Amino acid sequence: MVDLEKLRNAAKEIVSQDDVKYLIGWRDGTFGFRISPHFMESPEEADKLIFSPLCTNNLATYLTMAEKLPIPRGEEPDRRKVAVMVKGCDSRAVVQQLVEQGTNREEVYIIGCPCEGVVDIKKIEKKFPDVLESVEARWENGQIVLKLPGGEQSFPREEVLAQKCLTCRYPNPVLADTVLWDEVEVLGVEEYEDVKELEGMDSKERWAYWQDKISNCIRCYSCRNVCPMCYCEDCVLERLNPTWMFRSVNVAENTAYQLARAFHLAGRCIECGECERVCPVDIPLMKLNRKLYKEVQEDFQFEPGLDPESKPLQASYRPDDKEDFIL
Amino acid sequence: MNNNKPKIGVYVCHCGVNIAKTVDIEAVRSYAESLPYVKVARNYSYMCSDPGQLLIKEDIAEEGLNRIVVASCSPRMHELTFRKTLAEGGLNPYYLEMANIREQCSWVHEDSEEATSKARKLVAAAVAKARLLEPLEEKEVEVEPATLIIGGGIAGIQAALDIAGAGFKVYVVEKTPSVGGKMSQLDKTFPTLDCSACILTPKMVDVASHPNIELLTYSQVEDVQGYVGNFEVKVRKKARYVDIDKCTGCGICAQECRLAGRIPSEYEAGIGKRGAIYLPFPQAVPAKFTIDPESCLYLTRGKCGKEPKCVEHCSLGAIDFEQQDEFVEFKVGAIIVATGYDVFDASRKPEYGYQDYDNVLTSLELERLVSASGPTGGEIVLGKGEEAFVPKEVAFIQCVGSRDASCGNEYCSRVCCMYTAKLAHLIKEKVPDSNVRVYYMDVRAFGKGFEEFYDRVRREGVRYIRGNPSEVFKRDGKLVVKAEDTLTAKPLEDEVDMVVLSVGLEPRKDTREIIDLLRLSQSSDRFYLEAHPKLAPVDTATDGVYLAGCAQGPKDIPDTVAQAKGAASSALILLASGKVNIQAQISVVNEATCRGCGYCVEICPYGAIEMGEVNRFGHIVSVAKVNEALCKGCGACVAGCFSGSIQQKSFKDRQILPQIAVLGVVK
Amino acid sequence: MSEQYEPNIVAFLCNWCSYAGADLAGTSRVHYTSNLNVIRVMCSGRVNPLFAVNALQQGADGVLVSGCHPGDCHYMEGNYYARRRFALMRELLEFIGVEPERFNMSWVSASEGAKWKDVVEEVVEKARKVGPFDQFRRNKINW
Repeated sequence: MVDLEKLRNAAKEIVSQDDVKYLIGWRDGTFGFRISPHFMESPEEADKLIFSPLCTNNLATYLTMAEKLPIPRGEEPDRRKVAVMVKGCDSRAVVQQLVEQGTNREEVYIIGCPCEGVVDIKKIEKKFPDVLESVEARWENGQIVLKLPGGEQSFPREEVLAQKCLTCRYPNPVLADTVLWDEVEVLGVEEYEDVKELEGMDSKERWAYWQDKISNCIRCYSCRNVCPMCYCEDCVLERLNPTWMFRSVNVAENTAYQLARAFHLAGRCIECGECERVCPVDIPLMKLNRKLYKEVQEDFQFEPGLDPESKPLQASYRPDDKEDFIL
Repeated sequence: MNNNKPKIGVYVCHCGVNIAKTVDIEAVRSYAESLPYVKVARNYSYMCSDPGQLLIKEDIAEEGLNRIVVASCSPRMHELTFRKTLAEGGLNPYYLEMANIREQCSWVHEDSEEATSKARKLVAAAVAKARLLEPLEEKEVEVEPATLIIGGGIAGIQAALDIAGAGFKVYVVEKTPSVGGKMSQLDKTFPTLDCSACILTPKMVDVASHPNIELLTYSQVEDVQGYVGNFEVKVRKKARYVDIDKCTGCGICAQECRLAGRIPSEYEAGIGKRGAIYLPFPQAVPAKFTIDPESCLYLTRGKCGKEPKCVEHCSLGAIDFEQQDEFVEFKVGAIIVATGYDVFDASRKPEYGYQDYDNVLTSLELERLVSASGPTGGEIVLGKGEEAFVPKEVAFIQCVGSRDASCGNEYCSRVCCMYTAKLAHLIKEKVPDSNVRVYYMDVRAFGKGFEEFYDRVRREGVRYIRGNPSEVFKRDGKLVVKAEDTLTAKPLEDEVDMVVLSVGLEPRKDTREIIDLLRLSQSSDRFYLEAHPKLAPVDTATDGVYLAGCAQGPKDIPDTVAQAKGAASSALILLASGKVNIQAQISVVNEATCRGCGYCVEICPYGAIEMGEVNRFGHIVSVAKVNEALCKGCGACVAGCFSGSIQQKSFKDRQILPQIAVLGVVK
Repeated sequence: MSEQYEPNIVAFLCNWCSYAGADLAGTSRVHYTSNLNVIRVMCSGRVNPLFAVNALQQGADGVLVSGCHPGDCHYMEGNYYARRRFALMRELLEFIGVEPERFNMSWVSASEGAKWKDVVEEVVEKARKVGPFDQFRRNKINW
């Protein structure tokens, strides 16, 4: 059960430790259903921390985003830990970062928050389009309770939860230094229904589907920027020399970009759904990611972000990998 | 700098008529001239000839060219030639790009228009890449002045003696207890009828006694790491259970062994017997006994009478059942693979009844039967005791396991025709009233003195019947060869006393292990693949690894010796020069963009990449670092790098992407 | 689509097996269609699957990647990595609606000149069947 008191006390204690630089958690946002990340350097700031069905943001992203300002000669880099609050999916992002050395285990303190599922912000904003005041939310008896301006309303989880949460098999952190409350029950089963639906179409229909979606892409790169696994200093997909793809916005370049992005995430995507959440033009990016997730699972019996000691899928092979497609 | 702005010279080769016949050379040349950055475009009948190369060198000097595109044959053929040309012309050799308009264009397309337009495309792609080429530096590494030879047959022996004779250290690793190989089992050699042992044994002794040769018999190569000039080798010396230093080779142990004369002897091709402790053959080198762990009673059951007889009778106390396998490690600069061949297993052709009938022999068994050192002392006698008899009617069946797709061997084994002639001659010599016939498909007597010898044998009364027997069966106690004389179209049922199957040569069963160890390839006949069938027949795709003898394909003794000497010479070039150039087209890391994920480290098959630290504005970050001596330039890391931070020189993304563009766009 | 449509295939061949096999086809004067153009790399492991996307984008109607047979890679493991990467890219391309016929991979050894011909003809024939690629072709191209 979510216990905010416990959460804040734990945060105070952790951030007071000498070896912790700061703590990343969630806080109320400035309007509507949006919440903000909370970067906390002192225990006094703990009261702002929250954990609610609105905490969709995957904070693991910030682990790789920390700006590395030049350090004056003679000064030592600050190697203290960053504490980060993680849901089940977020913890998998941290694990995958550890696999890829994007994050150093000695420099991170993982605070696990078992999670009953977060809302799909797009679904809910569609339901309540004009809510400007900051909204609070909580889990209660398997339902999601929203404290709207007109009073509290309760929704069944199927109605408001994000798709990734409805099929989530890892609601509990797979790796944590401390877990704040009891583990929650695993309710999700992944059947890949939407992926299979597309697979059932013929090539032309599939392309028509994707062309429709991808032609909307404005190449804002939000999907890449928010992704906890996309942490290259200099993204090849935006690089000019060599030019893998033009920056111009059209179906050809957009498709190449989305293919490349999805391919780079094959065997690495941990299904936090952030890319799809932030997409301003509603491209169902998780369908691409989950298609590959499915194939990786079926063909290579591999799931990323579960074991920090595992070998990255794309940097390993088995001599008996499938090759039915080879002439 | 002069090299900043590309000035490309394009040279289109006619290759006599090889290219010019289907490709409109002038069309390609004038098209090339129109391409961006192309300063000069010329054609010439043979670019690889001296005048052709001179053309390039002159243009470099006079036109200030700084990139060269040669449109001719495969780069696998002449890339090195033209790199040298560039170097001689004062240009970095890696400013060369080739367009393969022969093997992959003029030779495979009949339509002149199609071939010409493809040639144009290929030239345009080469130009697109050429303008982005970068100068590379070839680095040198020292060569360890030693050679490993795998296999102690005549090929290994000859190569070892040559290299050792030139003053370099040689390690010979032989799997069996003695050197000598298959040649030691032969009685006489064709066509000269020299005694095989007489010419081989002195060389075996030389190998053992040569100060530069370290002989590791009853040993196997376990692991090979490193690269040309610097291989690190690990060898397992299998336990002989006999202390080599104490054993004098007196042989009392073998006489006393409880299993003496009960184990089929490998050396005698199974027709003679040995004990569990044995010397493979009397002239074995080293003349030290070995206990066969698979048959020895003490080693298999832990008990051999009250006390093993060998222990009891060895006055020197050389028997040591506690002996363990030992490992030796050493460094070498070159490796010669001389692992030889396996004899075709005749039971894979069940129609010839090898497994069913005692008097169906393989040629190697007959070889032992006619040998004076064999189990019968050289008398051709079949059967035992009272049943013993001298076969009078003898039939040879040729091409058993050769030229036969049904058993997977389409190749000719090259030696069977002549050893059959030799064996037939020996039978006629020892049993003058015998009738010998040879069932054959073709007689291939191609070598020096071969045809003469074949003629001689026929004059001696050996009958050659053209026809491939379909079956060997038994009727009234006699063997019957069923065949058709295809010259007279007459079906035959030939009653004989003895059938000899002229079995072919096959790749060793452990070929795969050596391939994995040394990164070699197989040709379609499953023997080791040479670097080039004509011009590099002893080299392999792995630098510093050479082939000798039947490991590369069936050969007779003179050819084997010649190839062994060739392999020795190749190894010696390396050892004598003391230095070797390492790959220039290796991977290089852009440390500024490397995100330190370590994928490349995991991917690299050579362990050539490791993580190192760099200081990025005071922050210590880990990035990939390439060990240039270990990198072989495959580029597997490049395709696995998400940030494009590791690139392979000459095959960078920025060099390949324009090629793709050209091939996509140019019509 | 005109009757005259001839597919344009871009192929990536490893130097040691497939390129040598293609050379052997030439040396043996095996004739085959001219629709396929080759880019030589040292190892199929060097071929970034994004090259295939790029080729389609830039004017190819089909792509072929060819390397040594499993276990025969001159660099021991490169073709295994290529196989895994291309298995993934193939699924992905197919999923967004690119016909799988356009995306091919083969093992051709240095001794398989005849197989090389068969592979080329098969790849071209497959591309011919599905017609010109127009899904995410770039309009204006500079190089």
